[in-house]
Amino acid sequence: MKLIKDKVAKLSFVALLAAVSASMLYTPTASAHGEKSQAAFMRMRTIHWFDLNWSKEEVAVNDTMTISGKFFVFSGWPETVDKPEISFLNIGIPGPVFIRAGSWVGGQLVPRSISLELGETYDFKVLLKARRPGDWHVHTMLNVKGGGPIIGPGKWVTVTGSMKDFVDPITTLTGETIDLENYNLSNTYFWHAFWYALGLAWLGYWMRKPMFIPRSIAVEAGKADSLISGTDKKVAMGFAVGTLAIVAMSFSNTESQFPVTTPLQAGLLRGIKSIEMPATSIAVKVEDATYRVPGRAMQMTLTITNNGDSPVRLGEFNTAGVRFLDSNVAVDETGYPDDLLAEEGLTVSDNSPLAPGQTRTVQVSASDAAWEVYRLADLIYDPDSRFAGLLFFYDAAGKRQLITIDAPLIPTFI
Amino acid sequence: MAATTESVKTDAAEAPLLNVRNMLLGASLYIVFYGWVRWYEGVYGWSAGLDSFAPEFETYWMNFLYIEFVLEASTAGILWGYIWKTRDRKVMSITPREELRRHFTHWVWLVMYAIAIYYGASYFTEQDGTWHQTIVRDTDFTPSHIIEFYLSYPIYIITGFASFLYAKTRLPAYQQGMSLQYMVSVIGPFMILPNVGLNEWGHTFWFMEELFVAPLHYGFVFFGWAALGVMGVVNIEVASLSKLLKKDLA
Amino acid sequence: MSASQSAVRSRAEAVKVSRTFDWLICFTLFFVVLGGYHIHYMLTGGDWDFWTDWKDRRLWVTVAPIVSITFPAAVQAMLWWRYRLPFGAVLCILGLLLGEWVNRYLNFWGWTYFPVNFVFPSNLMPGAILLDVILMLSGSMTATAVLGGLAYGLVFYPGNWAVVGPLHVPVEYNGMMMTLADLQGYHYVRTGTPEYIRMVEKGTLRTFGKDVAPVSAFFSGFVSILIYFLWHFFGRWFNSTEFVKSA
Repeated sequence: MKLIKDKVAKLSFVALLAAVSASMLYTPTASAHGEKSQAAFMRMRTIHWFDLNWSKEEVAVNDTMTISGKFFVFSGWPETVDKPEISFLNIGIPGPVFIRAGSWVGGQLVPRSISLELGETYDFKVLLKARRPGDWHVHTMLNVKGGGPIIGPGKWVTVTGSMKDFVDPITTLTGETIDLENYNLSNTYFWHAFWYALGLAWLGYWMRKPMFIPRSIAVEAGKADSLISGTDKKVAMGFAVGTLAIVAMSFSNTESQFPVTTPLQAGLLRGIKSIEMPATSIAVKVEDATYRVPGRAMQMTLTITNNGDSPVRLGEFNTAGVRFLDSNVAVDETGYPDDLLAEEGLTVSDNSPLAPGQTRTVQVSASDAAWEVYRLADLIYDPDSRFAGLLFFYDAAGKRQLITIDAPLIPTFI
Repeated sequence: MAATTESVKTDAAEAPLLNVRNMLLGASLYIVFYGWVRWYEGVYGWSAGLDSFAPEFETYWMNFLYIEFVLEASTAGILWGYIWKTRDRKVMSITPREELRRHFTHWVWLVMYAIAIYYGASYFTEQDGTWHQTIVRDTDFTPSHIIEFYLSYPIYIITGFASFLYAKTRLPAYQQGMSLQYMVSVIGPFMILPNVGLNEWGHTFWFMEELFVAPLHYGFVFFGWAALGVMGVVNIEVASLSKLLKKDLA
Repeated sequence: MSASQSAVRSRAEAVKVSRTFDWLICFTLFFVVLGGYHIHYMLTGGDWDFWTDWKDRRLWVTVAPIVSITFPAAVQAMLWWRYRLPFGAVLCILGLLLGEWVNRYLNFWGWTYFPVNFVFPSNLMPGAILLDVILMLSGSMTATAVLGGLAYGLVFYPGNWAVVGPLHVPVEYNGMMMTLADLQGYHYVRTGTPEYIRMVEKGTLRTFGKDVAPVSAFFSGFVSILIYFLWHFFGRWFNSTEFVKSA
């Protein structure tokens, strides 16, 4: 039996070693961030992110970059996601690989939670300072209380350098400049080590003498009182008095070293300024919208009426962060993430300029692998098979108008 | 009392009462294994664990899950089966010295349980909070869950029941029925695993935030209290050992 | 009884055996209690314990003592009443703090890279020492519950101020005032932890002046008394050596 046990132990150890070495040789890179798992109808019907710009694709530790853009809070917000009355402008990164040096919505700094309204458009900016080297997928993101995280488009950004060089200098209102990355750290270690050692000392005092069996026998025999001596009581008093004294001393020392302290700052920020979107002069009616399964294209029949004074053409359809462009009309110059950009993905049966006062019915096709890769095609298996998105029209002068569309999506299998 | 020639001969041939080697080997098994697990999640958590729809997630995480299920089920079956099959059918007629020896072996099992509970209930459970409050949860089988719920909890369950079975099949002190607090200290933490079902249901359907102190998690809290059943086990052991040693300690 | 009927060969061996069991018992008790206590505490007071921007002067001060006096009360019910060992509370806190520090350092820092000055645990040791000493000197569960429970609640905030105080220094940041702790929360991005889930003081129309921390501490002490009583009885139940006969 012993021989077998030894053999098994040896073999297991060898197997363990082999497994460990094998896994150490291959380290693939990270990919997206969990947005694909979210139901398609919710990604299309909550926050519409547009005009996004990631200012850099590579940034060194301690350098900054910004992510800016706009988002439209869709009026047909799903019932199952709590309304964004309490939201937080977050950023989708794998932990603090950047620090968030600033974030603004409607020009207001938003370190706290904010109240947003349905049907409004807001501009936002997030300032990030690089901290940990690596290739990171950086997403726009809004958390909604009761609803959870709404993740927007993500783009790869590379951080170069060494995390050891990261510094986060802050000047306090009491005039001191500190590095937030390691401020107060040695003080924290000291006090925790001190109190832990005191606890160990108390434990050690009792553990020097025999513990369980002899003391149990004494207690059972009615001799419990003999187990605590006069010295024990004095030592105990010493620990108690010492504890109180050290707490009092450390408290008052801290008060004198840091005479100015304030409570944590919290509370919802209301009255966030939305963008005054110009009145639109184009009316769009979705006659129907279908998705062929399997396939990578959505077809819509749109009736467009131009009530403005300049001819317009359809340039872009944007849904859940995926952008379908008609390259004859609109081109992306912001370096938008490739996997979400279908530069030629929008086909309109007749995209000649629509004159003022005219109405036209067109077949529009939005086509790209993103429908499947990003699991937007699964919309038809969601409990609410309706889609929504933004249409961008351009007039003769290049002026842009944004129209929201919202309609059911019917799958076709033939 | 003077030792007889017979007992001197027995002394010379006898193995030590506490098998320290087994205890240290057992402890190393858990510690080395979990050290490797921590390395694995350190690397593959970031590189393959952020998007449950990515192919590398299937390779590095779902396969890990399937393999661990198989290994756990086999280990449980083999270990518990072995302890049961080799039970002592004449347990009440062992000598006091043999009984003492078996108490030591039982305590080696309890020490293993303590290590397994530490990793499961403390290390990997708080680590789960670390992970989920940092990244976006996008599946019931996140990297931290695959390690915490589906590896570290089964491991302490397997160890706890093995310990209980050892006591039940080898020690006279446990023949008078089922020790209430031993059952509590083993079944309570076991119940944390079915409670995972409630947890995932809640996270999927009605609780969207990553608050750790949410009422959704109170099931874990309640079953975690059951660890205190170890106090009852200690008391039974001390009572039994006191009986064995009382006269000699006087 | 003749020598061959004894479990040991000599008194010396008996003493050695008893001492060996002391260590085996201590190790097991320490880590099993640690497991149960840590899971309990992380899910009832954990968020306040993880992050500095949750360590406010109202909710943290109230919740932490109330939820953490539980296991010490139960373990004292065993260690003192059966063995006259007055280290039940300290044993629990040593375990909890060990479990927490290991996780904060190896995982919060080592896996997700949050700086340790942002994620250190609360210091619960002063209250634990007081609980153990009061029980030992009074020999009374009631005195320990009332005096010890109250002391446990009251000593929590001052016992932590040496570490937390420096983080409450104010900063003007891009036009808004924040404390350094708030700024840590703002800077170090937690994708799964939006600001609105912070359960911290937001002020009320009747918060009189600066009394928030003392009022919270007294309330916490009061509830800790009740929790101590309740958990003492839980502890007694967990101490049971009862056997259930099969049907």
